[in-house]
Amino acid sequence: MSTTGHKTWPKLTSRDEFKFIAEQALKCSTGDHTLVSLHDQQSGTTRFANNQIIQNVDTRRGSLSVTVAFGRRQGTAGTTDFTAGAVQEAVIRATQIAHLSPDDPEYLPPVEPQQYLKTPTTRPETAAAGPARRLEYTNEAIGQCRMENLGAAGIVSSSIETVGAAASTGLFAHEERTDARFSLTVQAGEATGWGAAAHRSIDHLRVQERTLTAIDKAKRGLEVRELPPGRYTVILEPAAVAGLWSSLLWALDAKSYEKGTSALTGKLGQSIVDKRLTLRNLPAHEDLLGVGFTTDGLPTVASDWIADGALTQLRYDRFTAKGRGIDRIPTLDAPCLSGRGSSLPTLQELIKSTERAILVTNFWYIRTVNPTDLTLTGMTRDGTFLVENGAIVSAVKNFRFHESPLRVFNRIAAFTSPAEAITSETSKLLVPAMTLRDFNFSSVTRF
Amino acid sequence: MSAPIWDELADLALKRIAASGAEYGDIRLLDSTTQTVRGEDCRIASIRETQDSGFGIRVLYHGAWGFAASSVCSLEEAPRVAELAIEIAKGSASLASERVKLADEPAHRDRVVTARRIDPFAVALERKTALLLETMESVHRQPGIVRSSASLWASRDRKLFVSTEGSRLEFDLLAVNGDFDATAVHDGRFASRSFNMPHLRMGYELIEDAHFLAEAPRVASQAVEKVKAPTTEPGRYDLVLDPEHLSLTMHESCGHPSELDRALGYEANYAGTSFLTTDKRGTFRYGSPHVNLVADNCEPGTLAATGYDDDGVVCQQWDIVRDGIFVGYCTNREVAPKIGETRSCGSNRADSWGSVPIVRIANIGLEPGAATLDELLADVKRGIYIEGHGSYSIDQRRYNFQFGGDAFWLIEKGKRTHMIRDVVYHGITPEFWGSCDGVANRSHRQRYGFITCGKGQPGQSGWMTHAASHARFRNVNVIEGRSGS
Repeated sequence: MSTTGHKTWPKLTSRDEFKFIAEQALKCSTGDHTLVSLHDQQSGTTRFANNQIIQNVDTRRGSLSVTVAFGRRQGTAGTTDFTAGAVQEAVIRATQIAHLSPDDPEYLPPVEPQQYLKTPTTRPETAAAGPARRLEYTNEAIGQCRMENLGAAGIVSSSIETVGAAASTGLFAHEERTDARFSLTVQAGEATGWGAAAHRSIDHLRVQERTLTAIDKAKRGLEVRELPPGRYTVILEPAAVAGLWSSLLWALDAKSYEKGTSALTGKLGQSIVDKRLTLRNLPAHEDLLGVGFTTDGLPTVASDWIADGALTQLRYDRFTAKGRGIDRIPTLDAPCLSGRGSSLPTLQELIKSTERAILVTNFWYIRTVNPTDLTLTGMTRDGTFLVENGAIVSAVKNFRFHESPLRVFNRIAAFTSPAEAITSETSKLLVPAMTLRDFNFSSVTRF
Repeated sequence: MSAPIWDELADLALKRIAASGAEYGDIRLLDSTTQTVRGEDCRIASIRETQDSGFGIRVLYHGAWGFAASSVCSLEEAPRVAELAIEIAKGSASLASERVKLADEPAHRDRVVTARRIDPFAVALERKTALLLETMESVHRQPGIVRSSASLWASRDRKLFVSTEGSRLEFDLLAVNGDFDATAVHDGRFASRSFNMPHLRMGYELIEDAHFLAEAPRVASQAVEKVKAPTTEPGRYDLVLDPEHLSLTMHESCGHPSELDRALGYEANYAGTSFLTTDKRGTFRYGSPHVNLVADNCEPGTLAATGYDDDGVVCQQWDIVRDGIFVGYCTNREVAPKIGETRSCGSNRADSWGSVPIVRIANIGLEPGAATLDELLADVKRGIYIEGHGSYSIDQRRYNFQFGGDAFWLIEKGKRTHMIRDVVYHGITPEFWGSCDGVANRSHRQRYGFITCGKGQPGQSGWMTHAASHARFRNVNVIEGRSGS
């Protein structure tokens, strides 16, 4: 196989092609308003376990969605068939649904034409990558593990997609997005080590470096100690911090806030986390997965969400935003959490500066236990260690935690600069590694 | 039943695979229609109907897999996708140290159709929206309710599976579901109570028989009672769990660890592995002698009862746990031979044409016992009765779990007394099932289904049904479900 130039015929729906399809749909719609959305993707994943490939897949999926509205009555129909007849059928079905729908008091017409900032959503090296490139990285990860007599399980994936929104209001948006991912779990008997990356550029996955880190974690886990549950100082690696923050970001929904069914209700403008923390949305950041526009066709916006520990922004739907007189809805597609003041340069420095703590690589299966105070539970996974006097002294059995991010992020002892973080349960964020005091581990598992 | 072009596409693809020297290949062509009607706070927030069509081609070349799929259903695209699947399989083969060998399965030619009384897609949308609006309005008549939601969902899959071994299987499958919930606020807190229909393979009769309007006032008043209820006192309690609640407990603590691909390490990087390692089969005490967990992919109406799985293997029934001993796994044609099985139990499923089939949890259910629910409760001095699903979390080998629920009642001296809130219980899987000392009889048996079971990379949603009667567990660790506890 060639290692460059993936055959992507038939090619994804271009800007001009989407314009043509959207015009067809808009022309045949009798609705007061019509919105056409495009999502067309070519994606591939090479998945391996026990040092060999177990799945190797490549999927081309194109889908169109048409929403037709009469007054406040609306209906949506979707199709994966882009032929003229199928597009027309989707318009007809959406029209039928709209006619049969009751008025939706929260309905708003599609947005007017918008200006979009140029966002770095696509990289040619990822667009050109295919099964051969994925195989190269797979080979690299497996090869390193085989040399150490360890087991590798993981994925290498790459995708390119075109996304679009067009409406009877004149709205038109179209962009290409690429995405590449690598994640690896190294198995050394019962012990595991993990690392993961996601980036617009497949060249930025740092497969070798992440493989060596995962190998190191797995090897350190060969001798494991059991510690009792209780409150510990913890050093959370960026992935673990991202897991807790993702749950907090979900709680920013404005409608729930206003109805009193959010853990943050009444806290706008108030301090919710350590005053050194700031959360921003940075759609143009090269290392985040920001997009140019939302599914509504609204432009993404660089914005502040938490400033000096205080909640300054909520996540608005268009109806709630209108009720609040908000014209430009802030988006949270590319979150970056940073700390003000003296930070340590690296995770290693954080470890060196710590007398005694539990180092957590990642959390798993984080779920809300109590939405009123945002109490969460979850397990540590794939690398949990005891740190004493500035060094890792042993692996420890995995803990279950029982904590609220609204409490633990008020107990920050130290932090690093923001770093890339992705887990199997979160989207990508930039977050610091952090040392937190009195973190509640409520039980221990058997490994 | 299948699209006119499908046989031609299948023929083109399989000819390419045969010419490549591959030892096996199959094609799944699928046309899925999904309708969702979603209500929120006494309004219909969206009605959406999507048509999702495409095909996926799987090739086994020199013992290694390749898979390619496309939503472009054309005579030009089928050979291209077949060639791509072959090319990918050859790439996989270049790194293979152990060849995949499929368990034998006879070739089948059949047609499977979901039995239905009422086609959910033929039911007028006005009837559906009226039902949801009336349900939410009824919920909001209860003082203290601030939010509600209600939805109806229906799915139809028309599928053709053709393999190089001569199987040709046609499917016309339905699935239906509906639910609603109510959220109440009190004293700075909020709490929800939900009413969930089981996802089942049947027609709209499932919804008609559910009596949303009759249930709405109860659900709303229990939401208010729940938010005002006293919080639980942490400690050891006997638990009596209802069938809906148990469906999730079984799913997480028995279903996932019994997937053989997990036990063999295939999911080590994502969903996890399993404490039910292959050396434990036939000897490991998973639970008390009251615990019999049976996989049944044949029971009509259940989600995994599709006649054949996506390997083209006949759906079957088998034991996972018998008299408390772990005895069986969910398998597919690839992994079954790795533990000496000569045939797959037929539990290999993909969530769409664009996904490769993987081992999935079967319809695993808890066999009924002899007691009535009242008898189970009568023998509890201090306990908690739990209904429905709440918070849930379990480690990646499925030992350490923590479950909440949708509603909780204190049991005192054999009687359900009043509601309590913030209950979560914690356990280690074999210890928890070892504490089961009674299962209610068949008259209490109910079925609940899941369509969002996450597994695989890229992620797929698995569908399966778990049936149970109420069951009692002794001396379980209950903690308070709020921060700082």
